[in-house]
Order: sequence, then C-alpha cells, then structure tokens
Amino acid sequence: MSTIRDKFYLASGYAAGFCIALIMVVILLQIVGRIFGFIIPSAENVSGYALAASTFFGLAYTFHEGGHIRVTLVIQKWPAKARFVQELLVLLFGLGLACYMTYYCWHMVYESYIFEEVSHGYIPIPIWIPQIPVGLGMLALNIAILDDLVAVLRKQTPSYQQHESDINLEEI
Amino acid sequence: MDTTLLSIILAVSMILMLAVGVWVSLTLVGIGVLGLLLAGNDQIGLLFATSSWGASTGWSLTALPMFIWMGEVLFRTRLSEDLFKGLSPWMGGLPGKLLHVNILSCGIFAAVSGSSAATAATIGRMTLPELKAQGYSDRMAVGTLAGSGTLGLLIPPSIILIVYGVAAEVSIGRLFIAGALPGLMLVAMFMGYTMIWAKLNKDEMPVHKKEHISFAAKVKALRMLLPIVGLIVFVLGSIYGGFTTPTEAAALGVFGALLLALATGSLNPSSFKESLLGAVKSSCMIGLILVGAHFLTLAMGFLGIPRELAQWIGGMSLSSFELLVCLTALFVLLGCFLDGISVVVLTVAVVMPMVQQAGIDLLWFGIFIVLVVEMAQITPPVGFNLFVIQALTGKDILYVARAALPFFLLIMAALFLIGWFPEIVTYLPQTMSRG
Repeated sequence: MSTIRDKFYLASGYAAGFCIALIMVVILLQIVGRIFGFIIPSAENVSGYALAASTFFGLAYTFHEGGHIRVTLVIQKWPAKARFVQELLVLLFGLGLACYMTYYCWHMVYESYIFEEVSHGYIPIPIWIPQIPVGLGMLALNIAILDDLVAVLRKQTPSYQQHESDINLEEI
Repeated sequence: MDTTLLSIILAVSMILMLAVGVWVSLTLVGIGVLGLLLAGNDQIGLLFATSSWGASTGWSLTALPMFIWMGEVLFRTRLSEDLFKGLSPWMGGLPGKLLHVNILSCGIFAAVSGSSAATAATIGRMTLPELKAQGYSDRMAVGTLAGSGTLGLLIPPSIILIVYGVAAEVSIGRLFIAGALPGLMLVAMFMGYTMIWAKLNKDEMPVHKKEHISFAAKVKALRMLLPIVGLIVFVLGSIYGGFTTPTEAAALGVFGALLLALATGSLNPSSFKESLLGAVKSSCMIGLILVGAHFLTLAMGFLGIPRELAQWIGGMSLSSFELLVCLTALFVLLGCFLDGISVVVLTVAVVMPMVQQAGIDLLWFGIFIVLVVEMAQITPPVGFNLFVIQALTGKDILYVARAALPFFLLIMAALFLIGWFPEIVTYLPQTMSRG
C-alpha cells in the first residue's frame, strides 16, 4: 500500500520536474533558433504552459514533502491533544478549500473547451489542453491532503510534519 | 459592508489562519474567498480559476524555476570548496583574514543562487569548521555568515526579486541590475566592519605565523574561481547588455551549471534527479503562493481596500520618508513571523497603491523591500538564516541573533544610504540597453 502511495507522490514530483526541464529545453531552442535564424513557434506560450503544469503537477509532491510553508511558531509548543485538534481542523479546511479550487479549475477547463478558446500565438493552441494539468494537479493535491487527514485520524504523524523539522534549504 | 470593518475582519482572520498553521498559500486563497463572499460577489470560483491560470503561465515567471534549479545543481557541486580554496590565499593580508572568505564566498555564491538560506548553508558548511579549527572567534564567524548569507536575496539572480517583479509588474531584468550595486555596497560594508573589528579585537583573532604564499600560488588558486565567475559574468552580463531576457539568461545559466557539474564529475543520474526534485519543491511552493497572492490582490482590488488605505495615508500627508519608516516597521514586524516571499506578496496586494501614490519609484521600492526582508532574515523569532546557522552550529538561536546584530545594523545603514542616494539603485538600470 505504501509503495503505491510513494509512487504516486514521486510521479507528481517527476512530472513537475519534467516540465521544468522542458522549459529549459524550449528556451534554449529558442535562443539557438534566434542565432541560426529559425523560429520555435509559440515558444513563450509553450514555456508558460509548462510552468503552469509544473507548478500544479508538483503540488501533491510538495505537500507530502512538507514544502508548502506555514507558520509553526505558535503551534509548535502546544500539547499533543491541542495539536491533534489543530492539525485536524487545518487539514479539513485545506481539503475543503482544495476541493473548491479543484472544482473551479475543472470548470475553467470545461468552459475553455466549449467556447473553443485558443491561444494568441504563432500556432493557435486550444487552451483547454494545457489547462488540463492544472485540474489534474489540483486533484492530486486533494488526494495528498486526504491521505494526511486519514493519517491524523489514525493518530499518525502527517507526512508534511516529518519533514518540517529539517531545514528546507531552498526556502527563500 | 463598511470597508474599515471589512478590512479588520479580513486582517484578523488572516492572522488567525496563519497562527494555527494553515499553509501560507491556502491562507491567501482563503482570505480572498472570504473577502469576496462578504462583499457579496457571486463569481468567486471563476475569478479564482482565471486569475490562477493567468498568474501561473506568465513568461517572466518562467525564470523562477530556472534560477532555483541552477542553485540546486550548483549546491550539489564542490563549488563551496573551490570558493574557499580560491579566495583564502588572498585574504591573509587583510585585517580579519579568513573572516572575509565567509563574506566574499557568500557574495559570489549569492550571484549564482537566488536563495539566502541556501547561501548560508552551502558556504557555512565549508567555512565554519575551518574558521573554528584555526581559532577565529566563534561569534564573529557566525555573525559574518549570518549577515552575508542574506546577500542571496539582493545579489542577482534573486528569487525574491522575481517574485516582487511579477507581483508588482516591474521589469525583472531591471530589478536584477538594480540589485547589483547595493549588493556590492553591502559586501564592502561588511568587509569594512570586519576589518575594524579585527583591529580592535586582536586578542580574539588567531595568531598566525607569517606564512608566505607566493604570488604564482595565489594566481593558481584564483583559477579555481574561473568557471563560477565565468558563469556569473555570462548570466548577468547578458541581461545587462540586453542580449537575453532574464528568463533566457536563466535557462542558459542552468545549462551552464549542468555543464560545470558534469565537468567536475558531480553530475550523475541520482544528483540530477535530486536537483530537479529540489527545484520542484521550492518552485511549486512559491508558485502556489503567487497564485494565492494574485487572487488576493484581485479580491482586494474588488473590495477597494488598498485604494481606501492609500487615500487614508494620503490624507495624513506623511512625507515619503515617514511613510517608509512606518512601512519598514510593519515589514520587520511581519518578517518576525513570516518568510520573505510571503511578506513581499502581502505587501504588493495591499500597500502598492499607497506607495505609488506617495510617488515612490517601484524599482527602488523593490530593492528597499528586499533589504528590509534581509534584516528580517536575521531577526528572531522567525529568521530562516538564523535557523540554518543554528542547525549548522548547534548554538541557540539567540546567540546567533546576537552575533548577527552588527550586520543587522549595517543593513539598516544601507537602507538609509539608498534612501539618501537613490542613484545607488537607479544608476545601473538607467544605463541598461533595454528593459
């Protein structure tokens, strides 16, 4: 069971990482193209879409790894019982908000699809296609939050907390 | 509903949500939703979705994951060791000796990495044990590291300047170039202070037998710095010269960093994957905060809170100096609980119209706010650099904060300097070939 879970989070991380690497490749190609006089069509649009995809694909992985920052100054000294209630409330709130966000992200995809919106670029890309990763990434975030909600209910330490004690070097 | 009451409700709920440990990005979205709900808006979800799509696909924002990845790649090379070996033979003659290696290597590392905590950690891991072994004052070793670690925020490429540029709609290329002179000025101030301190506290410095290093050996040591300095000159030079946009410079920078790592043998499949996942974690965290901040800014605009606030402040007819003093106090206070990026995005959502109305240049204000955030990085109880150094040394956080205090005051002095002489910030961007 835990291996499927680990694979899910890693897949979220690698999907996002792939998009970051893709941005680099597209931009480098664009520079090379400028020197040798060919054009990479819609390079700016494509790297923008890859950026959105990487941000949203990575949400679940980042959440699981404790990468999303929060203020722990106040809560860190609370007794275990109060912490249990607090984590439960925070996770419930997070799940509710994430569901709301997910619903409207998919709504946006749907509207782009039926109104046949296309990007203003060299090649018109139907905009619902690059918007799908946003919806998928949000769904994955819901799963990640739900996973930790279940963990807290089972009186386990939520995954993000296990990493919060180590210093995240890249924060700021 | 009355705007004053609305603002108070929103501010109190935000503080409550942050205090009980709701993730910063989700808090921003939550407050945006709450504000629009109270104002009776019925398009909240749609507004959220379109604003997030807009916020997460910006061309200039693509520089963010690139520069983060570049730092992650270089973080996994022997860069800090090379910096130490290359710089230390040259510092023997200065009063304060190897303490300057701390400052200069932080300055150089800051120029390839956008993060201040990463700067402090990478350099400190190398220099602190060495300084201790040679008998330097612990307090000064920790202080110079804490102080100059913050240079990562100001010396371009800087993650926080990208965040500010995207949120405030100021050209990132110009912001980067604007940060260069104040950054160098801070390095000079830190080194000057260290020299004076070393002259005054000879008993806390190790007694060295005069070891003579030949000039040829010094030059040879300097060669270790070549690749890294080359990369810096290349990235910043191409932005300044207008050959590339910051995003393109960032992509070239990652490519260069990967080549460098490959040449020094520190690039293998597992370190490549680690660097990529590390970049995902940071850029995703910042990305979601920006999505939340963009939505909150939009919601605030609907509610008219920033406009009212600007009028209210305008009615008090403060001079821009008084306004800046008030804002500094507010930011340092916020910085006691929040990280730098959250402070910047919150500021942009609420106080930007106020700043604009006071006639303050937004480019200058970007550098100003980064300096304030630098101060906040070394102020307890929440200062990321303090945490990093605490983890490296095992000293308690108050000790580190006390050791960093002189550097806190120096950054404050730098604030006054850029206030009196705004040209320190604006001169280079004005001479740039293009925005």
